Amino acid sequence: MEIVIKLLYVLLGLFIILNFGMFMSVSMRKIVARIAGRNGVPFYQPWIDLTRLYATRDSISHGIMFYLGPVFRLSGGVGIFLFMPLIVGSQYFSNFSFAGDLILILYFQFFGMLGMALGASESGSPHSAIGVSRGLSQFTTVELPLTLAVISIAIQYNTLSISEIVNAQQGGIMNWTVFTNPFATGAAMLSLLGAFSHSPFNLIKAPNEIPIGPPTEYHSTFLGVLRTNAAILHVIEAVLFMNLFFGGATNWVELMIKSFLIYFTSVFVGVAFPRFKIEQSVQWFLKVPLLLGIIAVIIYS
Amino acid sequence: MKYFNIETIAIGTGFLLILLGIWAILTQKNLIKIVIGFSIFDVGLHTVLVSIAYIKERTAPILDEAVSPADAIKKIVDPVPQALVLTAIVIGLGVTALMLAYVLKMHKEKGTLEIRNFNDLKW
Amino acid sequence: MISPLHIISIALGVAFALGFTKKLKSDIAGGIMLAAVGMLTFISAQWALAFYSGGQEVTQIYTAGFKPPFSINLQIGRAEAFIILMINFIGLLGGLYLFKTLVKQGRNAIAVYLILLMGLNVIVLTQDVFNLFVFLEVQSIATAGLIVLEKKNNSVSSGFKYMIATGIIAGFLLLGIVFGYYFSGSLNMQDFFTANMTATKGGAVAVFLILSAILLELKPFPANGWALDVYQSVKPGLSAMLSAASATAVLFVLAKIAPMGNAQSYHLFMILGVVTFVGSNLLGIKQKNAQRLLGYSSVGQIGLIVAIIGMSPMLGEKTTFIAITILLSHYLAKAGLFWLAGIIKAENIKDWSLLRKKPFLLVLFGTFVFTLIGFPPFPSFFGKWELIMQLSAGGQNIWIIAILAGSFFEGVYLFKWLGYAIKLDIPTHSENSKEEKNGILSSIDFKIELHKIIPVAIVGILTYLFGYYSSTFVEGGENMFKFFIPLFFLAVIFFLDFLPNRVLTAIAIIGMSYYGYSFLPALYETDLMRFIFGAIFIVGGILTLIAGFAYDGKRKGFHSAALIMFAGLGGIIQAETMLEFFFSWELMTLGSYILIIRGKRSMPHGYSYMLFSVGGAYLILAGFGFAFAQNGISLEAIKGLTVNAHLIYTILAIGFMTKTASLGLHIWLPGAHGEAESDVSPMVSAILLKAGVFGLVILFLAMGAEATTYESIFYVLGWLGAITALVGNVAASLQEDAKKLLAYSSIGQLGYILFGFAIMTQLGWLSGFTYSINHFLFKAVLFLTMGAVVLRVGTHKMYEMGGLIKKMPFAFIAVLIGIITLAGIPPLSGFAGKWLFYNAIIAKGWYFQGTVVFLAGTIAFLYCYRIIHSVFLGQLKDNHRNVKEISVWFIIPIYILIIGIMVFSAKPDLILQPIGDYITTYFPSNALKWTGTMASTDLGYWDGNWIMMIIGIMFALIFLWLYLLNRKATKVKQFNIVYSTERPFRPETTHVSYNMFAGYNKAMGLLVAPFITGFWNNVSEFVKGIADYTRKIYNGNGQTYALHIIMYMVVMYLMIFD
Repeated sequence: MEIVIKLLYVLLGLFIILNFGMFMSVSMRKIVARIAGRNGVPFYQPWIDLTRLYATRDSISHGIMFYLGPVFRLSGGVGIFLFMPLIVGSQYFSNFSFAGDLILILYFQFFGMLGMALGASESGSPHSAIGVSRGLSQFTTVELPLTLAVISIAIQYNTLSISEIVNAQQGGIMNWTVFTNPFATGAAMLSLLGAFSHSPFNLIKAPNEIPIGPPTEYHSTFLGVLRTNAAILHVIEAVLFMNLFFGGATNWVELMIKSFLIYFTSVFVGVAFPRFKIEQSVQWFLKVPLLLGIIAVIIYS
Repeated sequence: MKYFNIETIAIGTGFLLILLGIWAILTQKNLIKIVIGFSIFDVGLHTVLVSIAYIKERTAPILDEAVSPADAIKKIVDPVPQALVLTAIVIGLGVTALMLAYVLKMHKEKGTLEIRNFNDLKW
Repeated sequence: MISPLHIISIALGVAFALGFTKKLKSDIAGGIMLAAVGMLTFISAQWALAFYSGGQEVTQIYTAGFKPPFSINLQIGRAEAFIILMINFIGLLGGLYLFKTLVKQGRNAIAVYLILLMGLNVIVLTQDVFNLFVFLEVQSIATAGLIVLEKKNNSVSSGFKYMIATGIIAGFLLLGIVFGYYFSGSLNMQDFFTANMTATKGGAVAVFLILSAILLELKPFPANGWALDVYQSVKPGLSAMLSAASATAVLFVLAKIAPMGNAQSYHLFMILGVVTFVGSNLLGIKQKNAQRLLGYSSVGQIGLIVAIIGMSPMLGEKTTFIAITILLSHYLAKAGLFWLAGIIKAENIKDWSLLRKKPFLLVLFGTFVFTLIGFPPFPSFFGKWELIMQLSAGGQNIWIIAILAGSFFEGVYLFKWLGYAIKLDIPTHSENSKEEKNGILSSIDFKIELHKIIPVAIVGILTYLFGYYSSTFVEGGENMFKFFIPLFFLAVIFFLDFLPNRVLTAIAIIGMSYYGYSFLPALYETDLMRFIFGAIFIVGGILTLIAGFAYDGKRKGFHSAALIMFAGLGGIIQAETMLEFFFSWELMTLGSYILIIRGKRSMPHGYSYMLFSVGGAYLILAGFGFAFAQNGISLEAIKGLTVNAHLIYTILAIGFMTKTASLGLHIWLPGAHGEAESDVSPMVSAILLKAGVFGLVILFLAMGAEATTYESIFYVLGWLGAITALVGNVAASLQEDAKKLLAYSSIGQLGYILFGFAIMTQLGWLSGFTYSINHFLFKAVLFLTMGAVVLRVGTHKMYEMGGLIKKMPFAFIAVLIGIITLAGIPPLSGFAGKWLFYNAIIAKGWYFQGTVVFLAGTIAFLYCYRIIHSVFLGQLKDNHRNVKEISVWFIIPIYILIIGIMVFSAKPDLILQPIGDYITTYFPSNALKWTGTMASTDLGYWDGNWIMMIIGIMFALIFLWLYLLNRKATKVKQFNIVYSTERPFRPETTHVSYNMFAGYNKAMGLLVAPFITGFWNNVSEFVKGIADYTRKIYNGNGQTYALHIIMYMVVMYLMIFD
């Protein structure tokens, strides 16, 4: 019985996160449009898009792996969600975080990425493969400062359990990691810019030119699945950062505010800076972000 | 006069001949001359052999009317090196003969006796 | 018992008699000669047997009715009997071999041959120094006589050089003998020994002259140009006699008269012998002429034995064993090699690929090469082992280094040569053949003459027999019999090599299964760590052997080589003494070398693999030697060292790391693994590399977990592992060749493993074990699959493949699971390794090393993606439209391994919990706790079973949902894609693969520069340069050689008397 209630709560959580994610994405589009002097899409646009994509009857498939690609991708997003505790102290909104700790989440990101990359590759479109190869290249160094930050806070709190890290930050704003361990937070936030792949790190998708990047060949329902995942993933990554660095959330409102702000730092950076070439972005993460990460570890080692 | 007794002179000459022989072996360019150097080297060795066995005012170790078996031990020089030198001379002869045979063959092969023309194998 | 005097009488009598029988046909004369030599052999064999069976006293044979010193006496004891048996036996085989040549040259040559043998017999037996001189001259003249009868280019001039050299040496010997007589009053050796001549200056000079003359007869480096020329120019049959018989006799003389000198002269022998061994082998490196190369090797080996004689005060009663085993190996192998040279008549070592026309000759050639280097199971292996152990026990570390260096140089040229023979194209024309002049190319062939083959085969077989026999005399070798059992099985397999591949594979699998059954179950109870490695070796071996069923027809030598390797691998698991371990280790190296070099283009790679392996093995040998000196022969001896412990452990670690291909020692791996055959790559990559890991594991256990004494070593190893992981993975990402990519990936993975074990905590070791097991599973899967794919598509280049998922779905799934495991993505077992690793580094405090390893892990994604995309996804090429799924014989082992991965992923506790318990004996802090399938540490937790379930269910649900919405998707053709408004029509222009990570390459900059390959190339060029420069001292001029001899004497004189 308990497990059924638990599952219902998990589904509820997922629903909230999904809708909030779509809201965040449309907010981003609005902001970018306003900065560019345009009006932008209406606020309900993502919901329309999603419905339309899922309802499209025509679709083509390039093969099994192509078909499975979005499944992997969405499994990746939902998986991270499942292993992530959302609300401090909530038994039900801790999801399945008892199955694994922070390391599990860091590594489970790869599940979706890999499956997606393979699916896109099977389409045979060179644009997909180019996008994937760029994405993987950039990803190698994006993760580096984040790893150092994670190590730093693992030493700081002497645990790898996300719930315990969040618990340790309760009781006042000055207990948040961002204040107790600013270098780790800095490194991780810079790393987050790469993880969200907004400008200047968006060569993977190059959204303004010819369609390039992993999703090039995906359409209709497939694209719907990918959009769904994007919405979930953006929120849940922000939630991860919130849990690790910004004191977690005791209720849904706090969660939404914090994750919105975390997400939007990358959006604001994105509209302010032009795009990097791939070798530039690879090297960029090896400079200041890496240095911050190293300092963060040295302080606590 | 102490140093100019017969055995000193003999042994000195022997070593001189050895050095002369070695010098010839190392410096002469002509194969025949090298073989001759060997002969000199051998003669030097033999001289040293004989002179080492020499004991002053004694005679050759041959038992005849001059030396009776009874007093041989007092009258003759050490007989062993004398015997050795005979063997050594024979061996030296064999070596010289074989070397000359080699020289003959080498001359047949290349029509020259210069040792520097036989450097084909090296390194 | 026939008196040894009759050796002289028979030889001399027959030789003289032949001179008087002008009418006798020379082939009958040859028959008489063989009979006579047979008689000599019989007499010596009789004596040797009498001594061997015991009860026989040393016998003196007096001549001329007087006792010494008034007459010459011969002495026959155990050693003499054995040595003359060796001489006469090789004389018999050599006579058989030279039969036609001698018969052609006539009765004189036959007589001289007998005289040569007689001379050698007498110098061994005689106790009279002058008699020694006479018969040394007799054998020199006889040798020169045989040379002058030759009709070969340059043999005459080199014979002349020989005469100059031996003439000068004999002169000095005579001088020494006369002076010795002057001081001791006798010509009998025993009187020389008792006269204590070295006490006076004059007597010392006499002894110096005698000993140095005998030493010079043994061709010490560098005063040995004359000998090299002779070895090179005369008929190989005669070179064989010089190298095997004459050298043996003179070596014995040196040992016999050595007591004339004092401790200083022994010391001098040791120095000069080692200098010869190292110098001669070094100069051999640049040599291309087969016979001259054998000459260099001969001189080197003789130098080693001289050194052993010089070391006899140190080695004590072991001297005989060491000297005899090394002498026997040299004697058998060198005779065999020279005879082979005579059979195939190829001067340049590159032309020895001719041997492949008669594979059994190639096997013999390999046997001799391995005998010379000292590989098991040959006698020299045990000799060298004992030598190193005893030297080490005596604290003679410099000599150990020198001897191992010399052996290594010898390996450099011998393995190059062996590689040429195994792999180079068979030459099809010769420069001098008549056909060539007429413009017609014809293949060089060589005649197989039975009388030439038989001697070679006999010495070949003897190397094995004596090898086994030697093992019974070595300390720590008492229980070696069980290590030979697999070899007997192997011998059977070897003789069945004519059978078709599939039959042999089945036999091999049965043999392997029984072998595993014989020791694995017992190990499970007693030693879990060994059990795990044993299971990887044996089960992995059986699985990879199954893939061999895919090959039709015959696979010559494959099964024997594979079984040698697995016998070695099984051996290192079972070894209880260091000797047994090293024996098995070398056996494994030998087998793997043959396996690796079987690949089409793997000659240079097999060569560099062998050089690194031999170098590493020598380091291990040295390390074991040092340990032996402190704690004895047991494998436990490496525990608790007290003297120089840091150094010894470092040496051992480097030795083992040559097999794990850690950074700096890795350059052999990509080629060796990448170019090997399809089913060999997984053997050497997934399985063989674990041997190095096993070595490191027992080393680390010996160093002790708790002791902080060696923290510095582990710290360095940790960084080394981390950087190895990084560099290996970066390099893997930039490969175009699928198998090379996997090979570099192995380097990286082995870096993780090294790192994990170097952490030296329970968590670190658990991660090390997890990585090891995982690497075995997924690398076997990946290499088997890619190998099978390569067999189908006929190329290694990834950019020439593409889109194969449509043709080979089973292969695709296998690779997919392989790379998910490799990358450590949950839910598969790779994640277990990553998770343990994080906990371990944080607990240990190795944050930055850990970060480097993590970076390596993300870089692994690049090549994981690359291999699966370039091969299976993207665009299918036109020439692959008809390829089939990979062979079912590959699919079977691959999917068995995948089941292994799945079980390990869902139930990691099945394996990790017992390992954890096992290592708590060494790491008492029980850092990892298990509650059911939940693993937890102080830091975090992880439940493999739950994760597997959650992800499985979720994946299935999402898939169902998508399928529900989208089940009517239309299948489209290959080019139906969005492509810059054009429609592509050629897969080659559309498939993204070549130089895929160009941007990444650019960003990494210096990290991808081939520094290490460059470094090793420079080292190799440097050594070759030295060798090439130094060997110019042999300028071919007889007078220069004479000068060398005289200068050598002068230098020796100065060393002694100054």
